[in-house]
Amino acid sequence: MSYSKENVESIVNNGISRRSFLKGLAASGVLSSFPGGILQANEDLNTKIPYLGEKSYQTFRNACPRNCYDTCSIKTYVKDGVMQFIEGAQESTYTRGGCCVKGNSYVKRVYSARRLKYPMMQVGGKGSGNWKRISWDNAIDIIAKKLLEMKKEDGTLLGAALTKYSGNFGITHYGIEGMFNSIGYTTRLAGTPCWPAGIDAQNLDMGDMWCNDPEEMKDSKFIILWGVNPAANSIHSMKYIYEAKKKGAKVVVIDPVFTEAASKASQYIQIKAGTDGLLALGMAKIIIEAGLHDQKWLDANSKGYKEYKAYLDKEIKLENVSKITGIPLAMIKELALSFAKAKPATIWMGYGMQRHTNGGSMIRAIDAFVAVSGNIGKYAGGARYGHLSTWGFNYAALSMPKPEGSVGYTGPEGAKGDVAQGKDAKSNYTDRFLNINKTARELLNAKEPKVRLLWVACKNVFAQDFDRNQLIRAFQQLDLVVVADQFFNETAKWADIVLPVATQFEEYDVNVSYWHYWLTLNEQAIKPLFEVKSDLEIAAMLSKRMNQLQSGSCTFPQSVDTKAMMAKEFNPGIYEQFGIKSWEELKNGPVKAKAVIPYADGKFKTPSGKFEFYSDKALELFGSALPAYLEVRKPYDKFRMTSPHSRWSLHSQFQNLEWMEDVHPEPYVYINPDDAEAKMVKEGDTVAVFNKQGLLRLKAKLTDNVQAGTLLMYEQWYNNNIYNVNELVDDTSSDMGAFKTGAPGVALHDTFVNFRKL
Amino acid sequence: MQKAFLVDGSLCLGCNTCAMACKNQYHQDKGILWRKVREIGAEEYHNDNNNILPTLVSYQKAPKAQMPMERFYFSLACNHCENPACVAVCPVGAHTKDPETGICKHDQTICIGCGGCVKACPFGASKFNEKMNQAEKCSMCWERQADGKTTACVQSCPVGAIAIIDLHDPKYKEYANAAPIGIDYAINAETKPSTRFIHPTMPKEVYRLPKG
Repeated sequence: MSYSKENVESIVNNGISRRSFLKGLAASGVLSSFPGGILQANEDLNTKIPYLGEKSYQTFRNACPRNCYDTCSIKTYVKDGVMQFIEGAQESTYTRGGCCVKGNSYVKRVYSARRLKYPMMQVGGKGSGNWKRISWDNAIDIIAKKLLEMKKEDGTLLGAALTKYSGNFGITHYGIEGMFNSIGYTTRLAGTPCWPAGIDAQNLDMGDMWCNDPEEMKDSKFIILWGVNPAANSIHSMKYIYEAKKKGAKVVVIDPVFTEAASKASQYIQIKAGTDGLLALGMAKIIIEAGLHDQKWLDANSKGYKEYKAYLDKEIKLENVSKITGIPLAMIKELALSFAKAKPATIWMGYGMQRHTNGGSMIRAIDAFVAVSGNIGKYAGGARYGHLSTWGFNYAALSMPKPEGSVGYTGPEGAKGDVAQGKDAKSNYTDRFLNINKTARELLNAKEPKVRLLWVACKNVFAQDFDRNQLIRAFQQLDLVVVADQFFNETAKWADIVLPVATQFEEYDVNVSYWHYWLTLNEQAIKPLFEVKSDLEIAAMLSKRMNQLQSGSCTFPQSVDTKAMMAKEFNPGIYEQFGIKSWEELKNGPVKAKAVIPYADGKFKTPSGKFEFYSDKALELFGSALPAYLEVRKPYDKFRMTSPHSRWSLHSQFQNLEWMEDVHPEPYVYINPDDAEAKMVKEGDTVAVFNKQGLLRLKAKLTDNVQAGTLLMYEQWYNNNIYNVNELVDDTSSDMGAFKTGAPGVALHDTFVNFRKL
Repeated sequence: MQKAFLVDGSLCLGCNTCAMACKNQYHQDKGILWRKVREIGAEEYHNDNNNILPTLVSYQKAPKAQMPMERFYFSLACNHCENPACVAVCPVGAHTKDPETGICKHDQTICIGCGGCVKACPFGASKFNEKMNQAEKCSMCWERQADGKTTACVQSCPVGAIAIIDLHDPKYKEYANAAPIGIDYAINAETKPSTRFIHPTMPKEVYRLPKG
């Protein structure tokens, strides 16, 4: 057989009979109204769906809206109203035609029999497992009446709380906050569990969090991947790192764990967790003493270099740096000097590093080292952490006015989260902000009024938040918990009402990344399945019902079209930045922002307008003007536990899918062979890992990828496994975060545990 | 021409994007992977439930170089053998070897589900789908290739760790007969598998904290 078009067509025709069932359903429009069982059949009947040729499909533009560096631009192939497969958009040089293992499971995610299909109510009480299907009208009616009842009794809606984080970073999804803005002053779980200490650190140093284009790394001469593992968590960045390496750049990974990225680097340097800041201070001292610092740049662009240098001279002893970090002094010197000699050189700092009690101080110390080396404001240089410089949308869905006469909180001005919330400058009131990283205790402790209603969106609280026992108590004391999600996760199990939410393939949106510089349109590719609705549509339904019950009680539009809402997010600034005249151009594919080298003009948004080694703001807020060494949290149990992100999941998403179970079925705890031997644990043994917070049972793998004294478990939510690493994490704060995100981060990687063989 | 997968273990991240891109394209049922990312050093081949007879060769004996756990991988699907056992054993001609490209194709519309290929393939490339009572396997996305695209796995790999080469092209002669170092992949097996490998190495400098 040869590969003529005719032969392709003949295969296509032969293939029809197997697909006719699904096709028939789709053509008759029945598919979207069937309960889940029929889609289980879809999986069975669709094995070996043949590729039909580019012209046989309708294609749509989509984006992966998850909390990920890579924020892939997707091209979706649809046949007869059914998603067939997806590809990475070829137009984006960053996504370059391919998504990751998670993105490639989207077809299964959309058509999974495990999806939430219709609104449900837990009639037997939270956690009872006694569920009843209810109509949308009924669900929304219950919620609307509860809100109005609370407002009447409390005189305010501060008893209504919203917890939402990174489940969907699409711009229109800030309409969920918009929904809460539109009903009055409410309570918000504010801050971010992700990256706040580092955001504060970069803002103190440079007045912004802003990084060079990752695609420039191909031209870097020296790259330090410092506590970051792009080989697992930003796989599309690896091609630039490989290219640099191929061209002769040295790639060094500094990490307590021998990561996937470490295995592909030129050099791996293991470090004791929580001592990275000290290493950076030592490295700075070394290059200054060697005269390799960029005095000219420092004179023109920095504030407080003299004080910083005096601190290094007086307080930083290189022998101590070596002793505390665990790295030989000769190796530290070689690293520092070769970095300083290579131009341009860059450091990419991961988010794990700042999840320590001294996390912000460590990011500040590394920023300072990069500044001293003269690599700030340079092409292919930079102290890379993340950026929000392409996020200048209108946030039209977010910016809803409060209903007339709304009464709110009169405490000090509250927090904002990592993207600014709408704010009413004229009002005497604000929303009430609780620390998202202490959700359990904050919900329990909130008084006058106490929290009675909690709305959970884009977030799996029980998988991602801390102090599980208190969390159950907090949920149980709430009058009404509403969970809007796509899957029946553990948070849904503790809800009163569950609302099924659309995937990005069932709605319009627009997406950008906090790492790369591409802008991607997200089109509705298929009709929503079952009874799922977008978060915006849910908000509109709530608004309609509230206004029926009490006119003027909610300002959110009473009917929405996600396409129109998406279009409202664009403005001339975005068009200018991305060089387009209209969002419609994005139908041809993603576009990239015009190239800008951060801080190349020497302008910093700090109070002094310079890079601040010495920051008055830091002194005021965190007690140290300089990026001084801060000791990490003391152990409270035998072993350090580290819980990095898995490549199989994005927080609590994807691992639960049937397809993902095929490539990664179960969790493990990774133990250094020396520690395992001491506890008589062998490869594959089931062990208990426990501390003051809780206990997990799982299988052990023995590897010196982790250092002795440390256990590693990935952060994941499984569909059929009670494993959840956050059950061992307490809610101890990291040092920074309160400055820019409203609440300090959480010191996840300063968790300590013990273990034994079962 | 003998089209073949060239798998570069020095670039492979083990991210499994290729395996999932294959499922994304063909919707393999739960439990079935046409392409599997295999960890170097891990003895997992014999755990393949689909392959009920003892295998002729194992992909993965622990390589001579010590490799840390879960860091180095080879991505493997059908090896598109020069003398494929599946083609020889299939009683109805559902397995064919394309004379032009050397791709071993499987046509499910002809397959009667006898399972002969599943047993005969020394590499476990043919999978048995119990729900459909038929065999299935990688056919090197020949329909996509005919349409001017590359395979789903090659296109999706974020680092170019999979390529399609022609083993008969002098350009690739360095791979024609070379068995990869440290991996017991039977290039000399009678079926003459076509997949070729570039072997990974550890970073030049690795520093681990001293004990204690």
